[in-house]
Amino acid sequence: MTPLIEMQGIEKRFPGVYALRNVNFDLYPGEVHALMGENGAGKSTLMKVLSGVYLRDGGHVRIAGEEVDFTNPRAAQDAGIGIIHQELSLMNDLSVAQNIFVGREPRRMGFIIDDRQMMRDAAALFAQMNVALDPERLVQGMSIAKQQMVEIAKALSHDTRVLVMDEPTAALNEREIDELFRIIGQLRAAGKGIIYISHKMDEIRRISDRVTVMRDGQTIGTRATAETSLDEIISMMVGRALTQEEAQIPDLSAAPVALEVRNLTRGREIRDVSFTLRKGEILGFAGLMGAGRTEVARAIFGADPVERGEVFVHGTRKRIRTPVDAVRAGIGYLSEDRKHYGLALPMSVRDNIALTSFDKFQRLGGLLDEGAMAKVAKDSIRTLDIRTPSDAQEVRLLSGGNQQKIVIAKWLLRDCEVLIFDEPTRGIDVGAKSEIYRLLNSLAAEGRAIIVISSELPEILRLSHRIAVMCEGRLTGFLPGGRATQEQIMALATQTDRSIVSPAEQESA
Amino acid sequence: MTEIPTPRTASSPERVNFFATATAQRMLAFASLIIMLIMFSVLSPNFMQTNNMIAILQAASINGVLAIAVTLIIITGGIDLSVGTMMTFCAVICAIVLTNLGMPLWTGVVAAILTGAVAGFISGTFVARMMIPPFIATLGMMMILRGLSLISTGARPIYFNNTPGFDQIARGSLVGKVFPALPLPNGVLILFAVALAVSFILNRTVLGRYTYALGSNEEAMRLSGVNTAAWKTAIYTLAGGIVGIAGLLIASRLNSAQPALGMGYELEAIAAVVIGGTSLSGGRGTILGSLIGALIIAVLANGLRVLSVAQEWQIVAMGLIIIAAVYADQLRRQKTG
Amino acid sequence: MLNRRSLMASAVALAVASSAGIASAQETTIPLISKGFQHQFWQAVRTGAEQAGEEFGVRIDFVGPDNESQVDRQIDMLAAALANNPPAIGFAALDSQAAIPLLRQAQDAGIHVVAFDSGVDSDIPVTTATTNNVAAAALAADKMAELLGGTGKVAVVAHDQVSATGVDRRDGFVNRLAEAHPDIEVVTIQYGGGDHLQSTEITKAILTANPDLGGMFGTNEGSAIGIVNGVRESGTDGLIVIGYDSGAAQQDAIRDGLMAGAITQNPVGIGYETVRAALAAMNGEELDEIIDTGFFWYDASNIDEEHIQAVLYD
Repeated sequence: MTPLIEMQGIEKRFPGVYALRNVNFDLYPGEVHALMGENGAGKSTLMKVLSGVYLRDGGHVRIAGEEVDFTNPRAAQDAGIGIIHQELSLMNDLSVAQNIFVGREPRRMGFIIDDRQMMRDAAALFAQMNVALDPERLVQGMSIAKQQMVEIAKALSHDTRVLVMDEPTAALNEREIDELFRIIGQLRAAGKGIIYISHKMDEIRRISDRVTVMRDGQTIGTRATAETSLDEIISMMVGRALTQEEAQIPDLSAAPVALEVRNLTRGREIRDVSFTLRKGEILGFAGLMGAGRTEVARAIFGADPVERGEVFVHGTRKRIRTPVDAVRAGIGYLSEDRKHYGLALPMSVRDNIALTSFDKFQRLGGLLDEGAMAKVAKDSIRTLDIRTPSDAQEVRLLSGGNQQKIVIAKWLLRDCEVLIFDEPTRGIDVGAKSEIYRLLNSLAAEGRAIIVISSELPEILRLSHRIAVMCEGRLTGFLPGGRATQEQIMALATQTDRSIVSPAEQESA
Repeated sequence: MTEIPTPRTASSPERVNFFATATAQRMLAFASLIIMLIMFSVLSPNFMQTNNMIAILQAASINGVLAIAVTLIIITGGIDLSVGTMMTFCAVICAIVLTNLGMPLWTGVVAAILTGAVAGFISGTFVARMMIPPFIATLGMMMILRGLSLISTGARPIYFNNTPGFDQIARGSLVGKVFPALPLPNGVLILFAVALAVSFILNRTVLGRYTYALGSNEEAMRLSGVNTAAWKTAIYTLAGGIVGIAGLLIASRLNSAQPALGMGYELEAIAAVVIGGTSLSGGRGTILGSLIGALIIAVLANGLRVLSVAQEWQIVAMGLIIIAAVYADQLRRQKTG
Repeated sequence: MLNRRSLMASAVALAVASSAGIASAQETTIPLISKGFQHQFWQAVRTGAEQAGEEFGVRIDFVGPDNESQVDRQIDMLAAALANNPPAIGFAALDSQAAIPLLRQAQDAGIHVVAFDSGVDSDIPVTTATTNNVAAAALAADKMAELLGGTGKVAVVAHDQVSATGVDRRDGFVNRLAEAHPDIEVVTIQYGGGDHLQSTEITKAILTANPDLGGMFGTNEGSAIGIVNGVRESGTDGLIVIGYDSGAAQQDAIRDGLMAGAITQNPVGIGYETVRAALAAMNGEELDEIIDTGFFWYDASNIDEEHIQAVLYD
């Protein structure tokens, strides 16, 4: 059988960097081919070469046996290559059908958009995919999973033969993942080729036929998934074997309470949330998307207003109205969205680390002590193993894991006693993940009180000393770390209003 | 993880990097300026004379100082439409203090700068605390200040006839006293001094670094516990003080405060900033760039006049230069990513 | 990239320079720095100057700032004009004080300065070619009184309260009414910057506030047209409107009966006399201190007469 895609000896250079070196990759019809590798390994660059965003410096690309040379994304699209990026690119204020056919709307008389035809075409696509979606509704307010379906439909409407999916399950829950995989199976059966980029090992095993691992811009190897162990894939990715560590639960009963939250309330988003956090403890916050975990964190931090509720730090009541107050009280918050809420991307590593602690580097007359800043930045680069050519490198040029470490470095410099990590490993690859875990553990061991919000249950189970579970803005229960199971967490995470009475009512009853 | 060698280069890349990106931007504008100077010199023998060069510098001085103020605001991701009428208002207050109240010269200088700072503080409060978009807030300030200028003067110019030496602030020449062959007006010296001082603030102080940080990602700053509203207000206040200096310059140059003047000056200042390579989306920009931008505008206006090009075409040329400058910058950015 | 940008900038400037024509070195060029540029009045001055230029074989370079508040821009223009070291210049000062240092520099360089439109408070100009604005506005006041029958309320829309012309015309009108026609009351004086639209809005507001108004006077072309527009838009009848200056819209309004009449200066004459005076000064002739370029009353009865048509411009 002729492969749909054959890439041989692909080379790509950027000023001073070899981004791709002798990369080989192929894809057959009816195959799901997983592409794995740490961030910065060259997966995205390879896909950009495939889709004509980058021009390659060497090697061959053949589509269905024919040599091609895409100079722009449009040419790749015409050849049947569709990409669904990790960050979805739909227009919120347009309808589903308008998004699918944007730029190619069916027309009457050359200039009037035939809305009805467009709705029919979109409905036909959804029928073909076997999903129930209303072509007329606005994208605004749709779940990430549904938006992804729209992206897939959009790709299919282009007569796509090859579909590239970049981290498609990053923001999906289990049920939504099942639905996605069903559709992928359907596409596979229809003879399409799928390139599946993911960090999640279990998904790779479930869905892919073959897996190719990249590292440092090179292909390390291609294996049949069924015949390859997880450990082997991981060691191919990181260049060494990785041990799965169990959470070590310290005895914290004697440790003082660092943070206490009482009756935090705001509308239906945060409903009477109370909890305590001890010095040296890692408290995991589990729950489905939209359960209110981020809202609670932002409310404690003063980023959003609350209607009611008190926050005590080390037993003292603190009035926190703005993030400035929170930091003064010793509370730090690392947002789930680093790029939008955590970093000044065009600025240097040094500036980003020092930016919020300028009082430490300020000399007479507001003058900055660049020398001291550089020293601190270089220390952080060394201790957190941030991989950057220098502390003057612009942060936007670094990988997700390294960006996250810079955010952490920034907060460590502020000496906060309480640190709230919101999805600390989102978009970070396996190797960097375990480094972040190690870092969190050592921060807790130093006596800092830590809250980790995560949607990945294995992450919660592995890190937490204690697990708080939320559903619909309420805290539905606490579970002990180490002994809790995924099933127990899910049971609490799905305690909707209808299914239970709240714990507060249970207590008072 | 640790097995993978970190690609750290041997030389000191941070220095190279910092100056490389910054200078590339300035070099572009600077080269255009030099080429324009050469071109006009070739086309007209009258262009390259000491007097005319001084006239160009003097024409650039007020717009240059305004452009420096606007650069600060634009780097934070904002825009300031009020600098023209704010300048006028500062000149008016200065004139009231000196001429109507008969106070000594230095009080007028202080009054002008202070008035600008207060006006800037108010703009900053609108923007940073009351969350009014900068375009709207400064549009409002533009009108408010214009109205106040007319009201407080009875819409008549106030002359500085009682304050001998006031016109020397901009028109006099300290350099000319030392080198009689080069009567460089003080106004030009003040422009360069302001540029140096603000460059220093932008590059070396906390306030400067926050100026860039606010333009890069304001929400990230806020969520890091930085009092963004206070810093932003401080930047608007500083910009206002600089506008106050422009007010002094124009009052001294005209030896009068002209209350009706000022509309349209903000757009020319913004044009200078943009030609100088500062991005309207915030986060990047240099004072040197804006200074060169102001000089390019002044050279172009003067050169075309010396060549007796019809005025209608001068306006067209100015528009084309702005578009060409920004387009060239876009091309360069796409290349370097 | 560096070359690309620079080349682009140079190319633009060159293209503009060459397409608009550059003065040849041999030809004598007399620059005229006016107060404005876009207004029909200034374009008429330019026409007169260019007529004289053609007649006497000199090139006229006519420039002016975008609007009449840009005092510093006018000075930059003056500085650029002096760089060419012309034998003489014409200058209509927006603010005479501000320009004096440069004018002195011109005098030292042996450049003859002819003031036009409004004077310069100094002995540097060899002469001033101008309209007697006070007398012209007083004529408008007399006509207003005559048309109103000696009694009633009037309002003034002026173009600005800073420049000499604005002040002279306003005061000329108001003072003449006070002296010679005491039964006519000036209810308000408002300023529209000579801007058509702004003056229109002002007029409508005045008409709303003063339903018993008998007449209105606009102190320049923009103000007068603004009044006409405002009267038309508000549907007011029977108001006596007196304008100033000329222009197609004002002439139409007079023919349509919306405007009772207007004072016209002789802008073409101002331009012409300025250039003629400059040449005379270059030849060492003695000149009077003031060259009165004259003014005329025109209305529906005389608008088509030859001597009026000669001083009107479109």
